[in-house]
Amino acid sequence: MQTRVISLLVEDNPGVLTRMSGMFTMRGINISSLTVSPCEKEGLSRMTVAIKGSESELEKVRKQLSNLIEVLKVVDLDVHESIIRDLCLMKVHTRNTEARTEVMQLAESYNAKIVHASFDSIILELTAEPERIDRFVELMKHFGLKQLFRTGITAIGIDY
Amino acid sequence: MTVKKLSGAEIVVEELKNEGVKVAFGIPGGALLDLYEVLYNETMIKHILMRHEQCAAHAADGYARVSGQTGVCIATSGPGATNLVTGLATANIDSSPIVALTGQVPTSAIGTNAFQEASTFTITMPITKHNFLVMRTEDLPRVIHNAFYIASTGRKGVVLIDLPKDVQANRVDVELHPGDTPPGYKPNIIPNKVQTKKAAETLANAERPVILAGGGVISSGATDELRNLAETLGAGVVTTLMGKGAIPETHPLSLGMAGMHGHIYANRALNECDALLALGTRFSDRLTGWQLDQFAPDATIIHVDVDAAEINKNIPVDIPIVGDVKLAISDILKWLEKECIRDNSVWQKRLKEMHAACEECICDVWRAGSSTSDILIKELSNILDSNAIVTTEVGQCQMFAAHYYMTREPRTFITSGGLGTMGFGFPAAIGAKVAAPDKKVVDIAGDGSFLMTCQDLATCVENDIQVVVCIFDNRYLGMVRQWQELFFDKRYSQTHLGITPDFVKLGEAFGCYAERVEKPEDLKSALNNAFESGKPAVLDMIVGKEDKVLPMIPPGGGITNMIGTERCKHV
Ligand SMILES: Cc1ncc(C[n+]2csc(CCOP(=O)(O)OP(=O)(O)O)c2C)c(N)n1
Ligand SMILES: [Mg+2]
Repeated sequence: MQTRVISLLVEDNPGVLTRMSGMFTMRGINISSLTVSPCEKEGLSRMTVAIKGSESELEKVRKQLSNLIEVLKVVDLDVHESIIRDLCLMKVHTRNTEARTEVMQLAESYNAKIVHASFDSIILELTAEPERIDRFVELMKHFGLKQLFRTGITAIGIDY
Repeated sequence: MTVKKLSGAEIVVEELKNEGVKVAFGIPGGALLDLYEVLYNETMIKHILMRHEQCAAHAADGYARVSGQTGVCIATSGPGATNLVTGLATANIDSSPIVALTGQVPTSAIGTNAFQEASTFTITMPITKHNFLVMRTEDLPRVIHNAFYIASTGRKGVVLIDLPKDVQANRVDVELHPGDTPPGYKPNIIPNKVQTKKAAETLANAERPVILAGGGVISSGATDELRNLAETLGAGVVTTLMGKGAIPETHPLSLGMAGMHGHIYANRALNECDALLALGTRFSDRLTGWQLDQFAPDATIIHVDVDAAEINKNIPVDIPIVGDVKLAISDILKWLEKECIRDNSVWQKRLKEMHAACEECICDVWRAGSSTSDILIKELSNILDSNAIVTTEVGQCQMFAAHYYMTREPRTFITSGGLGTMGFGFPAAIGAKVAAPDKKVVDIAGDGSFLMTCQDLATCVENDIQVVVCIFDNRYLGMVRQWQELFFDKRYSQTHLGITPDFVKLGEAFGCYAERVEKPEDLKSALNNAFESGKPAVLDMIVGKEDKVLPMIPPGGGITNMIGTERCKHV
């Protein structure tokens, strides 16, 4: 099963998020990530939904989404033709100098930022494609992840 | 447009009138005092006080299904709104247009578990086409206009407006009757010409064409077009339960209802056709059965629906057409003028023979007199005028009616198809009678179903709404009993209904005309007495306790696996 990314333009009304997630629950669709944010137009928000499923399932989701009154636009993003980003904040154990150096080196090679450091841990920030973050998170697990936060993906089509 | 200073409640009533609302079904309460205060003096909107909010929703639904106009129901906050829920879900799944107004605690109290607070907005979200929680009085004109627009266009449905008490009470300067519609809502009405042309070519070249008519044919007002198309093509027409009335069932090309409790020949026609034009149907499992390889396996399937989400949902379609059914049929008819239609007389002959053979079997059953329920429906069908409106409860009574009642006009067979709601038929009959006071209205009821909403006999008597409830009194939750008999070794767990109440006395206690019908022969005079009485009436019709609706598709079966076909000797 492939991950599909759908970008939505929705009215910025109270309840629109409930309606959206309710639709997914009602139709038995599992969403792997859902983000909402303001956009360039007053009164509208942009939502980015990632779901795992087949082409035909995606088709059904797209139609059900279009049916929601508050949804103005539904765009299927081709993962190859879009910029997809996820933001991650994590607190990594650095029990000794050795670990600390290693974490800092890895962070540098992944372009992760060190946003805070204390004696026994470092807080890192990484904005990247979700797969790249997955890999970085796996690496950091070796040192011990104290906490992990991810925003979920947001995406923009190159041509649309 | 002029700006006026009005209270929220006044705005609501002004906007309802502007939308053409003539009648509303409801029950007041603390959170609706402001609205009912305005309704007190209102002469253009007749308010009918119901005895249960579920009935208010069903009545609005019945009104909508009969008139084609959006029905309106009103309930107070908390329990009033939760009581509406079953009725709203029933209407929405059958795409019946309703606007529901509910009271709500004041905006300042929302979220505090205030007295009679329930989150109507979130509770009703999945069972409405759309809903609104109005937080500012200024928004009311736009919200109400949009509610009616959304309910009555595209795939019709239920829209609920939740009205906090202070939003009704506040006075603001407003401009009434705004014309704008929601920016994200553009129903797909106009069918694609390339697709309708393809459909016409397919149908013209078919050897064995069949049209499957769903509720969408009736709601889009396409029954004349359908008949015209069927006659042009010489295609057999089968309907879904919701499609009953799309074509007169007395028409030579009508094959009746298909599906789980459909006619054998209708199901066979679906199985054997080489081109299937499905109109305004969602291919529910009650139609298709569960073996989808038996469903029109050789056919090129053309599916017309106003809701794009229905296309390819349950059945893969060869020629999808998104749009209004009436417009689509008109386009197909236009394209057909240019086509040479293939001779399909062999197919027509086969359909006629199957049909005739089936009638023969039915007559055998009647002659044997072993089942009273179907004879009673046949009698009803003979006695009632073609424009009489029949509503049904849910259970065997409903399926007997669907199978044997000859529906001759659209909007005269009103039933809960999608949700299968017991207790629907009687309050829907109230709405039907209000919508069509000159027509006879009969509820085909089960004894179990009727007890779920019978308190609204009070509404009928008080408002002089003459509906006749014909109770199929088998003292069982018959349909469940039938399944227990057939598939659970006759273990009748919790399906016997005992001997109470005495339905004649019950009817009389409310001030209705009431009579017991012991034998099918007595139905005619009893119905006559009922209509003559000028009162709402309850007829307690004694039917065979173990009558079964047969043949049927058993659970897991396909449309050619009907059981109970021993009686079908001739087919
Ligand atoms: C509100 C509701 N509760 C339960 C059911 C399940 N159910 C379907 S048919 C049926 C029996 C209906 O009994 P009755 O109204 O007497 O009709 P009959 O089948 O006997 O003709 C039941 C309980 C339902 N459809 N609706
Ligand atoms: Mg019964």
